[in-house]
Amino acid sequence: MSSLGELSTFAAASVRMATPLALAGLGEAYSERSGILNIGLESIILSGAFCGFMAANATMSLALGVLAGVAGGLLMSLLHAYLSVSCRADQTIAGLALNFLAAGLTSYAFLLRFGKSTDLPRCPVAPPIAIPVLSDIPLLGPALFDQNAFAYASFATVALSVLVFRRSEWGLSLCAVGESPQAADSVGLSVERTRYAAAAVNGALGGLAGAAITLGSLGFFMENVSSGKGYIALVAVILGRRQPLGVFAAALLLGAADALQFRAQAMGLGIPSQAFIMFPYVATVLVLLFSIGKGSEPAALGKSFDRSRR
Amino acid sequence: MPEHNVFHRRIEMKRILLAALIALCALAPALAQSAGSAKALKVALILSGPANDQGWNAVALQGLKDAEAKFGIKSAYSENVGIADGEAAFMDYASQGYDLVIGHGFQYGDPAVAVAKKFPKAKFMAIEASSSSANAASYVIGCEQAGYLMGILAASLSKTGTIGFVGGIEQPSIVKIGEAYKLGAKAYNPAIKVLDVYIGSFTDVNLGKEAALALADKGADVLAHSANQAGTGVIKAAEERGLLATGDSWDQSVIAPKTVVCSTVYNVPVLVTIAVDKVRSGSFAGGVFNMGMKEGVVDIAPYHDFEAKIPAKAKAMIADLKKKITAGAFTVPVIAKPTSR
Repeated sequence: MSSLGELSTFAAASVRMATPLALAGLGEAYSERSGILNIGLESIILSGAFCGFMAANATMSLALGVLAGVAGGLLMSLLHAYLSVSCRADQTIAGLALNFLAAGLTSYAFLLRFGKSTDLPRCPVAPPIAIPVLSDIPLLGPALFDQNAFAYASFATVALSVLVFRRSEWGLSLCAVGESPQAADSVGLSVERTRYAAAAVNGALGGLAGAAITLGSLGFFMENVSSGKGYIALVAVILGRRQPLGVFAAALLLGAADALQFRAQAMGLGIPSQAFIMFPYVATVLVLLFSIGKGSEPAALGKSFDRSRR
Repeated sequence: MPEHNVFHRRIEMKRILLAALIALCALAPALAQSAGSAKALKVALILSGPANDQGWNAVALQGLKDAEAKFGIKSAYSENVGIADGEAAFMDYASQGYDLVIGHGFQYGDPAVAVAKKFPKAKFMAIEASSSSANAASYVIGCEQAGYLMGILAASLSKTGTIGFVGGIEQPSIVKIGEAYKLGAKAYNPAIKVLDVYIGSFTDVNLGKEAALALADKGADVLAHSANQAGTGVIKAAEERGLLATGDSWDQSVIAPKTVVCSTVYNVPVLVTIAVDKVRSGSFAGGVFNMGMKEGVVDIAPYHDFEAKIPAKAKAMIADLKKKITAGAFTVPVIAKPTSR
């Protein structure tokens, strides 16, 4: 195979592996901009992957599966918002608790529905859609224009998020609530409502990320199928400094590191496999190292807001 | 401020309700577990992944259930026990008075020996491990025997001259299968190219799928795996690309009947029942025991729909070797370190 061909399949694999990270990371960027640090992202993805699969398995319809996946993500994210915004619980602890809850609940419900069997319950998988002409561009064509609907959704979400954050009033109020909830409240913005809305966007996108795993790649569900993607997506959010383009670029970097490790291993270079498996993590540490001190966290990130207290 | 108090009381109520809900969730499994009779032999099984992984762990649990039906033992099992938690899991079961604690995987060998010292009356067994002591044994499955035959099969079906193997964690019990696969493939076609990749996980299915796609991108047209749950992703990748695959641990043809040509079969239920029977009769001893085709622990699955598509030469070679391995006339070498690195 030509080296251009190899580069092209590598680029396509990078985008494929980045898709769930990008979707979930973008969702978390909304949440964090509004002041909610939701480390329960893993639970959102897992719930989305599970609900999406269950609906698609029962109806054999991809569209219904995607809807259910989004609903599953929303459920977890709104539960986090209820705990952290309405009940003012510690955001980090609520997020952690949800991760455990989702892991247990989805595998329990899966067992309840299908039992301990050796058959593999299935659902339809979203096929790649090649965009005429564009997909024939060498190198980038297959990576950007011959992907499934989930990857296209992640591209669209990036573009839309840039507009929301930079141009829309809602984006502005989102940041205001995250920077100084007291000030936002005093000019008549509802902190609670804004944060719930941000949580809803996070849930919907995270649910879509989960559906991208079960409905976009695997066509089946297994216990803990998200296997830590929520945590990796959180890294993408920090690396990308909560900027849509930054988060997307970080997700691509992490996806590319994963795609590279298998290709490098298969070349038989005489390097132990463990060294390649470290790739994504080494890349993360390096980028974090070079971006120290430049972080711009929303001032009220992780803090609950109590109107009656000043 | 009365309004203030009401608001805080409401939050307090919500918190109490939540706490009650969480407590209920935590108690439910404990309440559901029934108390068995005190005299029955107590056997526990420790699994590295979920019991419904349609592979490695599923067959072990089947073994436990078979032993339960056959000998009337009282059984328990733990899923998703990580390497770091292995010793604690053995300790837990031993201190609860279990007579035999089985760890299903290479990584449980050392924890079994460590805990065995503290509980001299209990028996410990690790499947696929290499450590042992007076009351701890390792039962090694001759997985490489089946891996070798899969290599022959894959080489005979490849049109591109390149085949691939996706391993879980790079550890001796997995590497020996991958290396035997290479040897088998070369025995059939010395010019064959075998690509191998280890993904560092037995559970990440999507990673397994992407690793397999990377090998397919490099021209491999028959893919094998030995990665438990993650291996299902390998089969999925082969199905998606219209390639062929071989399964691992049990007849995985049901996962993708048009893709899976054959599978290695590790008859773990036989292994578990052998161990339980030895504990019952008091003949359980420490040591490392090898069990393969001869003991009925290793086999390969039927070819199903591929019966007519496999070259007769390969079929004859496989059938002949199976006989020789069973009779002890041919030994597949055990290679614990990947030769490609």
